[in-house]
Amino acid sequence: MADVLSREEFVLLLQDEIGFDITADDLRLTFDELPEWDSVHLLTMLVLLERRVHRPLSLPDFLDAASLESIYEMVTR
Amino acid sequence: MGDSPIRILSVGTALPGPPVDTARLAECFGMDQLWRQWVDTFIGTRTRYLSVDLASGEVRHDLADLGESAATQALARSGISAEEIDVMVLGTATPDTLMPATVNVIADRLRIDGVPTFQLQSGCSGAVQAFDVASALLATGRHRTALVIGGDVIAKHYNVKADLSALPPSELVNYLLFGDGAGAAVLTAGDRPGAPVVRSVLTRLSGLDRRPGQTLRWYGLADRDSAEAPASEDYKAIEELVPVLAEEVAEELLDDLGWDRGEVDYLLPPQLSVTMTEKIAKRLDFPRATEISCVGDTGNNGNALLFFQLDRLLREMTMPSRAIAVAIESSKWIRSGLALERV
Repeated sequence: MADVLSREEFVLLLQDEIGFDITADDLRLTFDELPEWDSVHLLTMLVLLERRVHRPLSLPDFLDAASLESIYEMVTR
Repeated sequence: MGDSPIRILSVGTALPGPPVDTARLAECFGMDQLWRQWVDTFIGTRTRYLSVDLASGEVRHDLADLGESAATQALARSGISAEEIDVMVLGTATPDTLMPATVNVIADRLRIDGVPTFQLQSGCSGAVQAFDVASALLATGRHRTALVIGGDVIAKHYNVKADLSALPPSELVNYLLFGDGAGAAVLTAGDRPGAPVVRSVLTRLSGLDRRPGQTLRWYGLADRDSAEAPASEDYKAIEELVPVLAEEVAEELLDDLGWDRGEVDYLLPPQLSVTMTEKIAKRLDFPRATEISCVGDTGNNGNALLFFQLDRLLREMTMPSRAIAVAIESSKWIRSGLALERV
């Protein structure tokens, strides 16, 4: 059974472990609106999320995600 | 160039150990499928070669070892003996020691002595810079045959026990992009019909008001516990600026030589990573040119890269034909390029 990850925990992970200056409201912004975001952050975040939810994630599933919100939904679905 | 054309007689290369594929690298660092998928998608490098043994952390080769091997191969292929080398230039970002200069250690092993030797502290433009220095010295007429070497060994920055998931992105990329290797070329001002002629060598510092895109620090007794990362990259700046500088180099070389893009038969683009190289080659848009790249197999081995490209070029280059090479150093930003012709 995968662990549940709350939206608040997701934001904290982005803030504290990736060092991303972001609020819960920013999750809906598209990646085009987050100029700091890049593929290395994506990797770091997914590795951390895997550990948090205790199940393997697959990168291709996330490549078309338009926002952090959609990544959160995919991980917690 | 001067009246007497400078020609490349031969190229030699050296790689340490067996190729390390991404799966092996991932296994070593305890990373999983996600990580391999990311390297495949965003870096594209299939294999790299490392002087450090991943299982034990033991460093098995240094730059002098690789430089000596590459130079020995280049000399054997040129039909020139070490005694005939009358000037030597090495480009590297990672000398084995600051003193003695690694170029002189390699010279000693090759039994080269009593000639001028130079070592450039250089990054990915280092091979072109070394060509520039050697060509200029040959053009003076004071020297006839030069041995040019480029190489890097990143063992010092490769901690096999590192927790990659805990590294900031600016340090993580170093583990994914780079590899070790060395290359060498024999250049001559003598007459050797058929050997590719160096038509132009261009190196330009392009760092005014630009922050370094890559930083390698060195430490001594007083500061060896420094909290600063020994190796870090501003990969976003690199991603943005390298294609622009590469385009500038291609334009300048073509303008200087009066060559049209369509008259170039071989393109040797900058070798940052497979994905970046593809992007840059597309942007440079040489319609007839065969692309010669190596980074997918060698990894980014810095000062050695151009020699691996030249090694393949020399094997494939038809006569007559023209080749353009472009290399960009992203530390304090140096754009560089080389134009070769077989006539």
